[in-house]
Amino acid sequence: MSIPALSFNKVTGGYRHVPVFKELSFSVDPGTLCGVIGPNGCGKTTLIRAATGLLPRINGHVSLFGKPVSSLKATDRAKCVGVVPQELSTPMAFTVEALVAMGRTHAREHRHALSSEDRRIIEQAMVYTDVMEMRSRPFSELSGGEKQRAVIAMVLAQQPRMILMDEATSHLDINHALEVMQIVERLNHEADVTILTVSHDLNIAAEFCERLLLLDQGQLVADGTPAEVLTEARLRQVYHCDVRVQPNPVSGSVMVTPSPRLASGHSGKGLRIHCVAGGGSGEEILRRLHLCDYTVTCGVLNHGDSDSQTASALGMTGTFEQPFSAVSAQKFVEAETQVRQAHAIVICPTPFGPGNAVNLDLAARALDQDTPVFLATGISERDYTPDRRATQTAAQLVERGAREWQTVADLFTLLATIDASAEPTSEREPNDDA
Amino acid sequence: MTCEPSRTNRSSRLLIALLGVGTMLLLAICVLSGPSGFGLPAVDTPMGRAILSLRLNRVATGLVVGAALSCAGVIFQALLRNPLAEPYVLGVSSGAGLGAACIILAGLGTAITFFLLPVTAFVGAMLALLIVLAVAGGTRASVYSLILSGVIVSSIASSILMFLVATASHEGLHSVIWWMLGNLQPTSQGQMVMTAVVVVGGIAAAWFIAPQLDALTLGREVAHHVGVRTELMTAIGLLLGSLLAAAAVSLAGLIGFVGLIVPHVMRSLLGPGHRRLIPATALAGGVFLALCDALARSVLAPREIPVGVLTALCGGPFFLTILKLRGKKGWVE
Repeated sequence: MSIPALSFNKVTGGYRHVPVFKELSFSVDPGTLCGVIGPNGCGKTTLIRAATGLLPRINGHVSLFGKPVSSLKATDRAKCVGVVPQELSTPMAFTVEALVAMGRTHAREHRHALSSEDRRIIEQAMVYTDVMEMRSRPFSELSGGEKQRAVIAMVLAQQPRMILMDEATSHLDINHALEVMQIVERLNHEADVTILTVSHDLNIAAEFCERLLLLDQGQLVADGTPAEVLTEARLRQVYHCDVRVQPNPVSGSVMVTPSPRLASGHSGKGLRIHCVAGGGSGEEILRRLHLCDYTVTCGVLNHGDSDSQTASALGMTGTFEQPFSAVSAQKFVEAETQVRQAHAIVICPTPFGPGNAVNLDLAARALDQDTPVFLATGISERDYTPDRRATQTAAQLVERGAREWQTVADLFTLLATIDASAEPTSEREPNDDA
Repeated sequence: MTCEPSRTNRSSRLLIALLGVGTMLLLAICVLSGPSGFGLPAVDTPMGRAILSLRLNRVATGLVVGAALSCAGVIFQALLRNPLAEPYVLGVSSGAGLGAACIILAGLGTAITFFLLPVTAFVGAMLALLIVLAVAGGTRASVYSLILSGVIVSSIASSILMFLVATASHEGLHSVIWWMLGNLQPTSQGQMVMTAVVVVGGIAAAWFIAPQLDALTLGREVAHHVGVRTELMTAIGLLLGSLLAAAAVSLAGLIGFVGLIVPHVMRSLLGPGHRRLIPATALAGGVFLALCDALARSVLAPREIPVGVLTALCGGPFFLTILKLRGKKGWVE
């Protein structure tokens, strides 16, 4: 095994009081084209800052080609690693050629003027990224794609052994993004430059990288080929949304497409749902149910609670208790009426305490009359009742046939199984949707 | 290879030659003009020799002060990435003013004041800079906090200065105000030579870090990635800029406009690369100030107009035209 181009060994680091990653370890072999993906705020950009020694507070070891980054001189570090930022701006009217020449800064610390060797390297870099004909134009007047090519030329003029791309294509349209990635890929193949690209675009990452690292909340959750890393289950878990992963017949890699929106094709017209929510746990669900034309009631909620505000904003009826008060017997009866009229009961991932645990009894009443109950999993972690009553009640509900769900997508799959006509309830009134 | 580099080399060589000849010519005009009339003073009389030496001193002072201020402007504009940055942005002027006012108002006697004035002004300026850096959080501080701390420290120093002036006796008041207006009559030749040495050294040092200054205009992070020791270079740059400004202020008081505008004009003429910009701006700033001073001496002779009044009055329209014609070649944001 050769010395890795970049290695992180149990690195914990971040900003003041907020560690972005904890004990992160991985290494990148020289000559690879490797991608780092992950949701916003997962630590991708911080990882690049750590790799170039820009992160002040850091524990653990970051090495570039076997040398600790903190011990490298600035000029030596620049010979090891160059960075293509998301966007580069200068307030001054440097020409493209002058900008590319800045890549030679590390060679000019003691010798001021550009040598003929420097000039040759600069020209070569401009030829490589095809910015030769705009060499005398001000950098600031270029289009986004041209700018990024000029910046890559600057990084090339640096002649680094490894290039880090920090969301370098995220401001570009698909054509220019591909163009930039092709330049980088060619560099990797022809000049054996190690590439580590941080990207939001899963498809570009899958297309160009031979290896992907998936970060989530500062932890490495997957590491392997694109096909190994990009699985539907893992992406759902990390990105909290539904995607479809299919093999790409052309490239042999995989493609990620967003699943059809939940709202489309899913109609709850004529169906009445009663929601048990609180503390903001139901906002998203109430909104989606509303989008799908369900008739929604909710309660018992406290006035002023963010869920009760959402419900009012969406024009839903509900049962509302005074702020910060426990559910009274009177309000319970009122909510029970709504439950009796519902085709299904949805219990959101709400924290339960002595004040609102009684809402779970509403679900028990629903099961009494064979109305389906859909319960968010993991109630024991949100149970603040002193006698663990909520957890016990939930367990009983599941025993009696309540179905559990984890993500909003799961919930909607369950909701799709309700059949309005099959429900044998005499008390249910015709729906009043307009 | 194309012929591009050689063409730029030829045009820049031409420009340098032009600048050299122009400088000599303009400086000659400066020496020839004065309140006693245009022309070479009779060098065979002691009176003539005295006048000539006086004029030479003033022209030299103008050169030194103008060069120092405009070079400081170049450095601050690059490091702070701000077109409004000028030599006094980090509190140097108010610090120097306060130092000078203290020594003038202390009433130690003319001779001691005469000798101590530039020293205290310099010390005041550097103290103000150090306070600004400490408040902003050292050289890691963001551009924003540097500028903000500069403004705050400046305001505090100005308030104290105003308080001193308001409560001062009449004769002291006059000298303080005259000093604040700026004046290119050097208090002594020795002081002028000493300042010149500091200024030339400062400009040479700034020129030495020109490639790093170029890279720092891209922001500190990008500069770091291309191999610049950003903290060290920022510290050196801020110190050099303030040193130059403080040297100028201690020699000639507060002279505005030169340090803000000359860098912009030269940048629009030569482009933003600091390797050419620093020497060219220093030269242009020096000649410009010497010319303004020649004008200030001779227009209303034998009365003298404060040179700070003339810099903006004469330079303003001239530079506005250049910026209007070629502004896009310098600053783009």
